[in-house]
Amino acid sequence: MQNALVTIIAACSILIGAYSYWKSKKLSRDIVASETELKSRMYELSILKELGDKIGYSLNVQKIVDVITGSLNQFIDYSTVSYMLVDPAKIVFKADLQSSVSRQFVDDIKNRMRDSLSALLDKKLDTIPVEEALTGAMLKESNEPVRSFFNIPLVIGGNVVGVLTVAHIKPGLYHEEEMTILYKIVNQASQAVTQLEEVVKTEEGKLNAMVESMGDGIVMTDKDYRVAVVNPAAKFIIGLPNKNDVTIFDFIDHLEGKFDIRGKLEESITLGKIFSADEVAIGGGFFQILVAPVKGSHGTIKGETVAGVVIFHDVTKERQVEKMRDQFTSMIVHELRSPLGNMKKIGEIMKEESIRQDKKAYNEYVQMFSQSSSDMLDIVNDLLDVAKLEAGKFEVSKRKANIKEIIEDRIKFFDTTSRSAKIELAPVFGREIPEDILIDPLRISQVLGNLISNAIKFSRPGGRVFVQAFMHRNGQDLEREAAEAGISWFKDIENKLPNDYADTLVIAITDTGEGISKENRSKLFNKFEQFGSGNRADKPKGTGLGLVIVKGIIEAHGGTIGVVSEEGIGSTFYFTIKI
Amino acid sequence: MNEKELYKALMTEIIQKQSVILGPQIAILKARNVSVITINDNGHVVDIKEDPRTALQSLVDEYVKLSGQIVKNALGSIFIKYPQVEGIQ
Repeated sequence: MQNALVTIIAACSILIGAYSYWKSKKLSRDIVASETELKSRMYELSILKELGDKIGYSLNVQKIVDVITGSLNQFIDYSTVSYMLVDPAKIVFKADLQSSVSRQFVDDIKNRMRDSLSALLDKKLDTIPVEEALTGAMLKESNEPVRSFFNIPLVIGGNVVGVLTVAHIKPGLYHEEEMTILYKIVNQASQAVTQLEEVVKTEEGKLNAMVESMGDGIVMTDKDYRVAVVNPAAKFIIGLPNKNDVTIFDFIDHLEGKFDIRGKLEESITLGKIFSADEVAIGGGFFQILVAPVKGSHGTIKGETVAGVVIFHDVTKERQVEKMRDQFTSMIVHELRSPLGNMKKIGEIMKEESIRQDKKAYNEYVQMFSQSSSDMLDIVNDLLDVAKLEAGKFEVSKRKANIKEIIEDRIKFFDTTSRSAKIELAPVFGREIPEDILIDPLRISQVLGNLISNAIKFSRPGGRVFVQAFMHRNGQDLEREAAEAGISWFKDIENKLPNDYADTLVIAITDTGEGISKENRSKLFNKFEQFGSGNRADKPKGTGLGLVIVKGIIEAHGGTIGVVSEEGIGSTFYFTIKI
Repeated sequence: MNEKELYKALMTEIIQKQSVILGPQIAILKARNVSVITINDNGHVVDIKEDPRTALQSLVDEYVKLSGQIVKNALGSIFIKYPQVEGIQ
């Protein structure tokens, strides 16, 4: 019994011992496997880090492959490491010989690589010329064939760009694990380049879209004056909006005698200077042209001039405005000089003793002096009003006022003038015009005065001028409402009057004058624009600021102003006042 | 040709093409990682132990895992010759 017990205990001890031994062995194997995997991973990472440091942010595939092949001898044994890159016009083959091999060995590698690429691209590459470069050891006479090799496809952005091949004269040299690591490394390098290319492509896309949409003409050339970038505006400036392959010669031809684009680009690129031409007349416009060197911002080309850019900035409108401003200034000076000259002459006459003694003549000269100073004051007041309008400081003082009374008052004021011009001047009032509305009566009176005065000035004897007022209800047909109120109104066929005004009082001054052409209508409310009013020799003159101020007054009341006209028949100037 | 033979021929062609693309050593080593197929030293599939379609998918996956989708794209011309075999993922 005791023996049996001892036997059982011994057996158990042996079993436990065996299990413990097996368990510890397994644990040891697991640790070794884990360590191996860790070492392998560390090895991969160290290779990737070294390659990453050397490659940097390069997008040059050949440079990247050069770096990879140049580093491989630290990680793997080989006779040759080579790469083959496919270009549409040629195949680049480069092999680095770690040890001397035969010409036949190199040719064999080259053929295998071409076969690999051909299979990957699914096309024959036999006819494409191969540009070969060998580095490292010398070729030698030998019968040693290729006994071990493997190819790693080079893929950038989903496209096969080449293949990298490691080969050796010894057989069965490469193990799956080390080959797999190299595949991983090359794949990761390819992925990094693909991602970098995508970033660059995105940024390029943004830059191109910006250049394309720019109003300024932009053309960039490389150092050999080949056009690298040209935007639609630049093509338009040289009259070739639809040409695809614009060259520097297109610019030279078009700018001949106006701007030496080739010479300036050359100077800019070689001397690194910026040139600017202020006003070059091209195709009916004026352009400011800037020529500047383009310098590399990073890497080996940092600070080096790599291209030249020409920018065409259209200054035609600026020049037109400048011209209009000059004309306006001359006109104002002229308008002021006239009453000032009169006042000077009158003052000199009034100093004469004989005139001072003649009471009647003296009073006439005082009257003339007063009129001239009043004319001058009107001009100065107009200029001040326009200045306030432009500065956004124009204000109206609204209070309740009777618009009918204001209209009638203005008609009374112009009664004598219209009679002497043999022009009928009359008011027309629609129904439901409110007694009192909130307006600046002085300013509205000024508006009416200006519009009535113009209507009389531009009408011929026998003509008629109606100062009309009617109510418009929001959403109602404005022209129908005008017709119901008995308003004479010229219809604008192209631009129907809007009906979406709020409830408003509409005041329309209709004349049977010369009418205004469509072109001139757009200039009416512009400070700098004046236009001829037909062929009348006695056409009225003035600063042309009246309508600018009128528009400002109406807009300060929250209203709108417009004109409808038919040439040779007449015009209607209308404005609205919100009720 | 029965289904098994068809798949053997197809997989053999795949290994042959990958041998051209990647080199025979690595192409055969990777194919041998697919445990359900038996490959001789010339890269011929001599036996398929389980579902041939699963085996085919595993074989293609081995190559894609090694060098990316591009090697799978290169197999298009082979699959055209085997219309009976449905496209692999």
